[in-house]
Amino acid sequence: MRLSTRKLLDRSFSGLGVFAILLMVGALLVLLAPIAARGSRAFVFRATVEHRQFMLEESGRGDHDAIDAEIRAAAEVRRKAYDMIARFEEELEAAGRSERRELRRSLREVKDHLAGLLGPAPGNARPVLLRDQYGQTRWDRALVGLGDFLYVTEYDYSDPSGMGRPLLVPRVDGFRGTSLEPLFAYVEQNLERMLRPRLTFYWRFLFDEGRDAHFFGGIWPAVLGTLYLTIGTMLIAAPVGIASAVYLAEFAGEGWLISLIRTCIGTLAGVPSIVFGLFGLAFFINTLGVSDSKSVLAGCLTLAVLVLPTVIRASEEAILAVPKTYKEASLSLGAGQGSTVLRVILPAALPGILTSVIISMGRAAGETAPIIFTAAVSLGRPLSLRQTLSQPTPALPWNIYNLCTEHEAVDQIRHVQYGMVLTLVLLVLLLNLAAILLRARLARRLAG
Amino acid sequence: MKRSTLRTVILLAVASAFALAVQTRGVHAQESTAGSTKIVVDGSTTVGPIAKAFAEHYMGLHPEVNITVSESGSGNGAKSLINGVCDVADMSRFMKEREFKAAVEKGVMPVAHVVAMDGLPIIVHPSNPVKALTVQQVRDIYTGKITNWREVGGPNVRIVKISRDTNSGTYETFAKLIMKKEKIAPDTEHVGSNGAVRQRVQSTPAAIGYAGLGFVDRTVKALGINGVYPDRESVRSGRYPIARPLFMFTDGYPALGTRLHAFVTLHLSPKGQEIIEDIGFVPVTDY
Amino acid sequence: MAGTSIPTEAGLLRRHLMLSRSASRLQRLGALAARGALLLVTCSSVFAVIFIFLFIFRDALPFFGLRGFAEVFTDTAWYPSAEPASFGALAIFFGSGIVTLGAVVVAVPLGVAAAVCLSDVLPFSVRQFAKPVIEMLAAIPSVAYGFFALVVLAPLLQEKGGVVLSVGACLAGAPLGLLAVVVLSDLLTSRLPDPSRPVVRLVLMGGLCAAGFYGLTQLVQLLLRLPIHSGTNALNVSVILGIMALPTVVSVSEDALHAVGRELREASYALGATRAETLVKVVIPAARSGILAAVVLGVMRAVGETMVVWMASGNAAQIPRPWFNVLEPIRTLTATIAGEMGEADHVTGSARYHVLFALALCLLLICFVCNLLGEWAVRRSKARLR
Repeated sequence: MRLSTRKLLDRSFSGLGVFAILLMVGALLVLLAPIAARGSRAFVFRATVEHRQFMLEESGRGDHDAIDAEIRAAAEVRRKAYDMIARFEEELEAAGRSERRELRRSLREVKDHLAGLLGPAPGNARPVLLRDQYGQTRWDRALVGLGDFLYVTEYDYSDPSGMGRPLLVPRVDGFRGTSLEPLFAYVEQNLERMLRPRLTFYWRFLFDEGRDAHFFGGIWPAVLGTLYLTIGTMLIAAPVGIASAVYLAEFAGEGWLISLIRTCIGTLAGVPSIVFGLFGLAFFINTLGVSDSKSVLAGCLTLAVLVLPTVIRASEEAILAVPKTYKEASLSLGAGQGSTVLRVILPAALPGILTSVIISMGRAAGETAPIIFTAAVSLGRPLSLRQTLSQPTPALPWNIYNLCTEHEAVDQIRHVQYGMVLTLVLLVLLLNLAAILLRARLARRLAG
Repeated sequence: MKRSTLRTVILLAVASAFALAVQTRGVHAQESTAGSTKIVVDGSTTVGPIAKAFAEHYMGLHPEVNITVSESGSGNGAKSLINGVCDVADMSRFMKEREFKAAVEKGVMPVAHVVAMDGLPIIVHPSNPVKALTVQQVRDIYTGKITNWREVGGPNVRIVKISRDTNSGTYETFAKLIMKKEKIAPDTEHVGSNGAVRQRVQSTPAAIGYAGLGFVDRTVKALGINGVYPDRESVRSGRYPIARPLFMFTDGYPALGTRLHAFVTLHLSPKGQEIIEDIGFVPVTDY
Repeated sequence: MAGTSIPTEAGLLRRHLMLSRSASRLQRLGALAARGALLLVTCSSVFAVIFIFLFIFRDALPFFGLRGFAEVFTDTAWYPSAEPASFGALAIFFGSGIVTLGAVVVAVPLGVAAAVCLSDVLPFSVRQFAKPVIEMLAAIPSVAYGFFALVVLAPLLQEKGGVVLSVGACLAGAPLGLLAVVVLSDLLTSRLPDPSRPVVRLVLMGGLCAAGFYGLTQLVQLLLRLPIHSGTNALNVSVILGIMALPTVVSVSEDALHAVGRELREASYALGATRAETLVKVVIPAARSGILAAVVLGVMRAVGETMVVWMASGNAAQIPRPWFNVLEPIRTLTATIAGEMGEADHVTGSARYHVLFALALCLLLICFVCNLLGEWAVRRSKARLR
């Protein structure tokens, strides 16, 4: 082979490596970009007057007079639309029978769509579901609703070789020549004045309870549940894991027991997470009976078993990374092995151990499969500390799954799903960032 | 200095965790004549929306109560009730003989509360020109005898079959009323919930699926079955061939006056019926 | 010894250090007790493993008693709820296998290349930047990956699948193809006499380029015509699992490459080898046990993953025809357990409940064997390099 070809091969080999790394960076960006971009819209969005009204009526937030004034101003603009409908209904009475039935059905659709946009029409009975009591709280959803209000999607089935092609037919076509005709243009032009969207930073998304199956409100029960699960897991796993690591690093020799322990730790690390879920249900709930239903406690115990190997391995590494001289100096000063470990080695290894604990916390926060059978529910209140011993809780990972597959109106609450994913990913990444920074500090300290 | 910052960090972390826990609006578990303040509901994903709406409605009236709802499938609901890990089991099918037997052996007496009626619309993408099928045709599609929409009057496109997971009462209803013990072809996609079926159908032009009445909206098209379209009227009159009641099971009939009793009889109140209707199911008293 | 009575400074110090016999016995006892307690705590992982195996075994064995071994592993008819039920899980094992294979195909070449690049090619400053990226990829919760696969990737594949695939094929195919053309023409003409060689090579290159280009366009046309019935399929899951396994593969194989000493590399450079040749012919073979361990760990990650496959694999218990058709939905072991556990009731002791534990047992055994294999590989690589 020629030298130039060899050089080319060499370069392309390096290129492949760089490409692989760039691909990873790219994968991270591709993964995080939609989550960050759309997740942030759960917090920052153009909220309509309906949002403010909801906040005022349901949780007493906001300036009462200002919002009242806004509602009145919006109602003023809306009244014209309702007047048009009322006039049309009168007109309908005079129409022929068959024509009337046809028009009435179309009119009902129009009124349904309008109610979806603006909430129930004045004078109508208050619907029982919260989602029907208010109009669109978000301007982006309102625009989607406006599209549905203005156009009917019909399908053109004329081509027998393929599926029908969607056609957007203006709804107004069905009402040409009637007194309802101007309604559509009126709503289209004045929707902004009817809903008065304003850019809002809804930071309470994190701290509000979800209302009416997440159509309104925030995700606090799930956030709190995840915090409980994460912290509880570490309270159980950290002492056990660190003690194990100390033993393995400082006291254990070589023997069948130690190698058995090490093999078991490796095996535990490789057990699929769904198996942990089965085990947690069978062992902690059905056999030990730590609680009479799913509970945070059972979830914590299950997750603790899951993260144990991670804690042990990383802590052991941290302990082994403490320079031998520390230990020798302590022993030569006459300190016993026990106090050497407690007073010298553990403090020196603390940042490393902390790093491992933080990374494991991230793992515990994000695991779904083990808590399906042991701790997670799709609806529940935020728990008090005492209730965690006996009651299950919503948790971010499970609720993400639940909301994006099981919810009855998946498309209408995309922002909640993305908001949850963003919160979870941020939580985990912040934990990891903390670990990375801690480790960098540690490296500096050991170096200098 | 460095050690002290580290200690501060740890202290802060512990303190904030504690503060979080304390700050949470705690509901003190108190036993009273009205029974436990904790009601655990588990089971069907079809009944899930009703149970969630009931729970929120009830908790809105009684802030001291915590009702948790999981949607994990009818079978799981029955299992949880039998094991005593839930108070109410949502089920979209009736309990099976084996389950009854196991329950009685464990000292649990399942009592059924019919909360609503549900049809099982067969749904396709709205761009699909097919408007109606017969039960026989649906069965043939799912057994794999019919694989192309052309064979039932549609375009020449391969059918993508979507089914519920076998752990759902919806699946069992479908298997009983449509499949009549014939086996669903192995290339059928299985998804975990009604919402997921609708999502798959709505994003796949060639798809066919089935879901509870409350999950079907404008984004999909419900087919006529044997010439009858699924709606409130046809479901309650029994003309629509794939209809079923939805249940909540409790261990024995709950003592009168308890919170549990109030919760499982909510569907009999006007508010409860309105909720059921607004979600899209058919109230039992709707005759 | 402790009884020396002269109160000198040295004596004080000695007394402080050297304890009386009784005290030292007490302390030794205490130390022993503490050690025992520590050992007990350490054994908790052993107990955990034992209990896990015990519980899974306890509920899995009745299945084999009820139905025997043959059906699960040889039959493809998975109808656990039918009457009579059939529990042929071959298609499910196949599903797990094919997505794992897919994940390995994605993760191993890229992972090893990235590891080589990190350990041998890139300057230290870039590594400082790349490491956190890899850790973040590893840290993102699996449900977030599943959400992405279901909400973003699946619709994309379904609607623009052909385009996505052909862009991928062009991006990967064009540079690799060009490289192959250059190398091939070089190799084929190396025996020719000098004056005619450059000409022949140029002609050959041109011809090969044209052929390659033609092949690529054909491939793209084929891909554009591919029928993609559903976006939740084996390909979707494989790609996501591959990305999830990448960090493991990268970090473990980087460790293995690091463990290969400088001497080997320098000897190879001294013989005139380029960096690529050194890496491919010397370093990677020397580190192959470690790289094997990386692959095994990556496999474990892919086999055991639940949420992504449950959400985005389509869950159809079938062996696609032809079997390598990754655009068909499949079903895996983990998704089957997660999805069917709800209905299977252990109170009635049905075969349907126990079969899931039998599957869990198989999964556990697969991971156990993988783990042993990985440990063995790591130990061997350590021993060899020592």
